Amino acid sequence: MKGSKKIYAWFPFSISMLCAILFIYAATSKLMDFQQFKIQLGQSPILTAYADGLVWMVPITEYVLALLLLKDSFRLVGLYATIALMTMFTTYIILVLNFSDYVPCSCGGVLEELGWTEHIIFNLAFIVLSIMGIVLLESKTKPKPTQP
Amino acid sequence: MNLKKVYIKLLGTLSTAVGVMIVLFLSSEQQVHYNNAFSRRYPPHPIIKKYYMDLGFNSYYIAGADKNNLYLGNSTAPWHLLQVDLNTKDTFHLKLIPQNRDLSYRSLQIKVLSPYFFVMDGTIPFILRGRLGEWRADPWMYGRAYFSKALPIDSNRIMIRTISTQTQRATLGMITREQGVSVHLDTTILKPSIDGIMDVDGELNYAHDTNMAGYLHFYTNEFLVMDNTLSQIIRRTTIDTTKWAQIRLAKKSREQGVQISAPPVIISNTGAIADDLMFINSDRLGKNEPNNNLEEIAIIDVYNWKKGTYEFSFSLNHTKKEKLREFDIVGNRLVSMQGNKLGIYHMVEKYFISNK
Repeated sequence: MKGSKKIYAWFPFSISMLCAILFIYAATSKLMDFQQFKIQLGQSPILTAYADGLVWMVPITEYVLALLLLKDSFRLVGLYATIALMTMFTTYIILVLNFSDYVPCSCGGVLEELGWTEHIIFNLAFIVLSIMGIVLLESKTKPKPTQP
Repeated sequence: MNLKKVYIKLLGTLSTAVGVMIVLFLSSEQQVHYNNAFSRRYPPHPIIKKYYMDLGFNSYYIAGADKNNLYLGNSTAPWHLLQVDLNTKDTFHLKLIPQNRDLSYRSLQIKVLSPYFFVMDGTIPFILRGRLGEWRADPWMYGRAYFSKALPIDSNRIMIRTISTQTQRATLGMITREQGVSVHLDTTILKPSIDGIMDVDGELNYAHDTNMAGYLHFYTNEFLVMDNTLSQIIRRTTIDTTKWAQIRLAKKSREQGVQISAPPVIISNTGAIADDLMFINSDRLGKNEPNNNLEEIAIIDVYNWKKGTYEFSFSLNHTKKEKLREFDIVGNRLVSMQGNKLGIYHMVEKYFISNK
């Protein structure tokens, strides 16, 4: 009981910290080389038409998510949003690989060294971890308000 | 039971995220292909450089090609023709001889359309024709029509751009020689926006595989594709959004005529048409393109004129001193003239199949 209660507490927390660090790193590295990021996003085969807006949206979203994850009261929302963002990113990669006219030169920014397939696995791992975090967090917090 | 709710929420999040991405993908795809978002897409390596050949002069221009040979004319040595075997890289220096040795001329241009070559001067005006291999140029047309540009489209027909005496505007037309020489002008093809001469300036192109002619406007984002009788005109626009020619004209005096008074905005430099594809070299930069690289590369945009779509872009390396002057498509090769050099590129088939 005690051990499992502990896991309810620390697991979602560490997942959130991990994701927060990832997002802050990703967003910062984009802003550090903003011009490059802008060019790469613009030439990405799927998002070309929306590159102007996305070039700001992506890092801002990442920072906001990191904040949500760091704050105890917003962690659950943060984790849901993390899953959404990670799923979108993964979908993007799959679309690029399968349905786009051509595969862009593997763009840098975050985790430059990863290939596309590794990137998918990496993302999926984060999605799975976040889902576990949510399930734990939900089953910890939800029973309380429904009990009385 | 509470977990069930959580799973539904998770499932909802996941499917919304996937859905949003797919919608974004589909609509972006739609916009890039059909709208003037004016952002280019660069697939990796659609053309591969085979070799450069140093010609020693920068006055060569592309006169024409047959299957494996490229013919280059030279503007400073007007009767000289250089034949380049694209497979073996052998070059042959040829000398054309006019039948009438006393012929006077001002600006000769040679065009090759196997098995003939044409020697043309639109200012005299005359056109001579001869057979490849014989190299003797016989009169084909003399004095019937002045022209500023001419391009043979088959052995008896030459597409021209000239000034119509009726409208005093630039006009496309055709010189045909069957029993006699006849000249047909169609004044409706080029639509004037300023003076009808400068603003509609452009380049004639012809695709011998499909017998379609092209007219590439320099100062607007429009290019025309028409059949070899100059009918069924298809008007297409490039990814650039400049609809109206941005040139300022000044009339100095009646004798001097109209001059361009400010540097014009050149939308399209030069082009080539092959199959269903129109290739256009443009120095205009799109979104997200670094502006300092035009001194290193020449951008060529590929359009499918039949479908009316922008396909993709690629670039050729050049230098500020040796800029791309012109290029053409010869089979699955792209040949370029830049500085003293002739560049030969292989076109990777999967990118250039027009009906993919």
